[in-house]
Amino acid sequence: MALAMTAPALHAAEERLIILNEGLWQQDNGRVSYFEDGTVISNSWFRDINGYKLGDTPNDIIAVNDNLIAIAVNWSNIVQFITPEGKAVAATEEIPNNRKLATDGRYVYISSYGHECFVDGDYEYFDNGGYVAKIDTSDFRVTDAVGVGYEPEGIAYYKGYLFVANTGGYAFQEAHEYETTVSVIDAETMEVVRNVDTGQINLYGKMSQSGQYLCINSPGDYYDVQAATIIFDCDAAIAGEPDGECFVSLEYAATYNCTDKSGHFYAIGSRYSYYTGDYTFNYVIIDPEAVMASGGGDGVTEDFPGTVLDDIKKFSMPYGLFVNPYTGYIYATDAGDYTAAGALYQWTPDGNLIGKYKLYINPAHFLALRPESPSGIGNITDDMTDGNADENMTIYNLQGIPVTSPLPGHIYIRNGKKFIYNKY
Amino acid sequence: MKENCSTRGFIFRVCMLLMTGMLSNIYCSADERPDTVISLQNVTVTATPRKLATVQTLAGAQLQSLSTTTIADALKYFAGVQIKDYGGLGGLKTVNVRSLGAQHVGVYIDGIRITNAQNGTVDLGKYSLSTLESVSLYNANKLDLCQSASEYASGATVYMQTRRPDTDSLSVTGRWASFHTYMGRVNAQLCRRGWSAFVDAEYLDSKGDYPFRYKSEYEDTVGRRFNSDIRYTRVEAALFKDGFASHLYYYDSERGCPGGVVRRLSDKYNNVGREWDRDMFAQASWSRTFSNKFSFKANAKYSYEYLRYCTDYPENQNTAKVNNHYRQHDAYAAVSGAYRPLGWLSMNVGYDARMSWLGADLKRFCSVRRLDQKAVVAVQADRGGLRAAASVLFQHYKDHTRLKTGAAEPLKRFTPAVTLGYTFRDLTVRAWYKNIFRAPTLNDLYYTQAGNRNLKPEFTKQWNIGAEYGYRNINWLASVQADFYINHIDDRIVCLPLRGTYTWSMMNYGHTRCRGLNVNASGTYATGAWNFSLLTSLTWQRDINRTNPESDTYDLPICYSPTLSYGITAIAAWRQLSLTVSDLHVGKRMWSYADAEDMLRPYNNVDVKLTAAVWRMLASFEINDLLDVQYEHIPRYPMPGRNFRVTVTFTV
Repeated sequence: MALAMTAPALHAAEERLIILNEGLWQQDNGRVSYFEDGTVISNSWFRDINGYKLGDTPNDIIAVNDNLIAIAVNWSNIVQFITPEGKAVAATEEIPNNRKLATDGRYVYISSYGHECFVDGDYEYFDNGGYVAKIDTSDFRVTDAVGVGYEPEGIAYYKGYLFVANTGGYAFQEAHEYETTVSVIDAETMEVVRNVDTGQINLYGKMSQSGQYLCINSPGDYYDVQAATIIFDCDAAIAGEPDGECFVSLEYAATYNCTDKSGHFYAIGSRYSYYTGDYTFNYVIIDPEAVMASGGGDGVTEDFPGTVLDDIKKFSMPYGLFVNPYTGYIYATDAGDYTAAGALYQWTPDGNLIGKYKLYINPAHFLALRPESPSGIGNITDDMTDGNADENMTIYNLQGIPVTSPLPGHIYIRNGKKFIYNKY
Repeated sequence: MKENCSTRGFIFRVCMLLMTGMLSNIYCSADERPDTVISLQNVTVTATPRKLATVQTLAGAQLQSLSTTTIADALKYFAGVQIKDYGGLGGLKTVNVRSLGAQHVGVYIDGIRITNAQNGTVDLGKYSLSTLESVSLYNANKLDLCQSASEYASGATVYMQTRRPDTDSLSVTGRWASFHTYMGRVNAQLCRRGWSAFVDAEYLDSKGDYPFRYKSEYEDTVGRRFNSDIRYTRVEAALFKDGFASHLYYYDSERGCPGGVVRRLSDKYNNVGREWDRDMFAQASWSRTFSNKFSFKANAKYSYEYLRYCTDYPENQNTAKVNNHYRQHDAYAAVSGAYRPLGWLSMNVGYDARMSWLGADLKRFCSVRRLDQKAVVAVQADRGGLRAAASVLFQHYKDHTRLKTGAAEPLKRFTPAVTLGYTFRDLTVRAWYKNIFRAPTLNDLYYTQAGNRNLKPEFTKQWNIGAEYGYRNINWLASVQADFYINHIDDRIVCLPLRGTYTWSMMNYGHTRCRGLNVNASGTYATGAWNFSLLTSLTWQRDINRTNPESDTYDLPICYSPTLSYGITAIAAWRQLSLTVSDLHVGKRMWSYADAEDMLRPYNNVDVKLTAAVWRMLASFEINDLLDVQYEHIPRYPMPGRNFRVTVTFTV
């Protein structure tokens, strides 16, 4: 595998990112970049490893579990599955016009603007909106799908439920209006439990998650309705609280948003009006707990670490924002003029700009891989398979204390044997 | 993006122009007999047989012997021309001259401009060569004696000159071509007591289902183009007498708009979009010369365009279900006059008014109206081989709409042009400068969720120096011309995403500079029953981005702009037989700055056409793209590759 060859045997990579470059629409040049510890290993990573192209306009990427990654390739109508080493393992077009992904570790849930889905051997049609499909990663087939609002976009999984932001984004071309709801779906039964009306239209774009909280962007309609950010409390929605208790709406745009290591949301964006042509930019950090507790009166600051904000303000076209959940390093992309290669900027967790790297056209979507083992041990063989040990057996640390959340790359004891917790 | 504007102001300003001249004859890439063409065109003007402008013309037999069916096919033989073509038979074809952009090219039929208030570009695929006498391309101004103001208003102009019948005839044409293409045409012409008229009706149906293949290290994609069909009916009629010319045109079509060929796991889903067009216009012009000193011309035109675009098909899961209807009306009138007080001096004034109306059933859209007025004053002088021409054009645009965004501010601008030339025997040298803009179109200004009513006009400045030389004797007719040019374009009107949002808007962004060289050389040798012609054109240019010195792309070539392209056409004729072979070469073009592999490969397109006339039949056999180079103008939009056409015409 190309990746294995490029990673020196004794070097344990800390910063490992997969970045999707959307490319140009209908030019079939969506590309995957792989970045490791200050080096762009490849800007055509998927193609290098698999010998063929990813497709047109990749739109989202998530880790399903430690062995599997899913990519929504929107204009190709493909959900592509790869290993963390980049090797393609499956692809399906059962969900045309797929948008965003969520997972519970076995199933992948995909929002779609389309109106048909191939479910379990038959086409299902959704004439009055889009839908969410559920793929079983044991065979990569859609097992179920449920209709939601028009043009559903962001999707998150939390405690057995899916939270889907409906946009109605085709409202300018189609007969329906913008949507204002977040659909709550029981992931097991794939039934809509409730629709929480946020009062804000067009819940479009990336949705970030921080435990029970979601950060949802509402760009408005760029005419009469201004952009907003919805901070959504999943626990409140599951508990059946009234709609108004489930979220707080803030007067900011969250066009680019992400979750930092402490669970706060970064939200960058601008509010724009076609009437006046005026922009209002905002750059905020949102503490969702404080926002929910205060009804929006508290919990919003502009205290970005170090030079992050000053650097981003100089971008010609910000296009993606990300904090590595494992290390806290901060990343943002600048799409430039859309025909040139976009750039990746990297800051330390305290906001020192430490690098600028050339990617490909329109770099937008990030996935961080777990840091490699710091133990210095390579070529691990997995004795735990083949029934030697039950994955569910209790894990102990070297002091004999049971561990519920083992860290990758560290040594633990299970079934009386030392092992390195490291699934790749 | 669509836009509009309208006004009601008035205008009038004057300027001047001077000229001295007349003189040298310029035929460029093509025609060995430009005088013939011109005399048809300016019947009533005491025209100078020789021109000062930079022009290339294809006319008469040469035009018909090319393997072309549309204006776009013919124009690609000119130097400085880049055709943008999304492939297929129904694909949109627009022309870009000297990298100014399609919207800076004015297209005229018999001296009256074809307009599209909506997007400002003309789909050249809609106009047939079968009724034309000649096609000419002028860089900057044409510099006729008596011109309308709008003829001064484009960066480059394409003139299509309709053929005036000189005999009675009835002809029927049938064509069979590759990819399930069938065409039938009937042409009737009549001449009575100085009046002449024709009716020309054509129907075409093509599936356009050509095969394509993408083969590279990373793919081997084989397929057949889907949704690339077209069907149209075109009916034209014209009536002429002396200085009077009129033309009726009707075009009705349905076509598929295929998307790019991208990775898919099956053919289950296709991004089907379909388009219906219904265009018609009626135009008339009248011109007259009095006492050799005064001439006068009046033009009038009404046009209507209907466009429906639909994506509401079950196999299309990727886009919104659109079903929109656009309607445009356009009324135009122009008067112009010329006065020649002295033998070497002439003056030209003209005033044009055009009212455009655009309606569409888009959300948040209501009709927009634009009043566009232009006035020109021009002077030409010609003395002792030295010639000069100067003009000043005034344009005034005013829009009216009840859209909540409001109408754009009225646009008023003066723009000048100057030409100098000197002729010594068969050699002419010339230099010219032209400053002109294109007004934002109605789409640019008002289209829902993209329109920006604060747009400024997109300005161009062109400098040109050139020379031409002609030679003729009993057997030979040859000419060569070369022009070096520099173009600057400011405030390019482009659609860009808005910073920090998920939406797009039309914006003024970008400055480009193009330096180039256009060369044409042609020669004809006739002896006995034999006639040989060789026509060549060459374009070398560097079209670079000068927008932002801080940017990595500053001073890099503009995407899609080739540095070198050339065309060579050889025609051999013997009695009623003729064979034409042409080769068009286009150099490599980058289509993004991101990666050196984002490049369209250079290509050579070779066409062959064999024509034979026997008794009342004219038959031709054509092979297009003989080498089967499946080149692209836009990445992932493959062109058809090798294809065949057989055409038979029967005339009584």
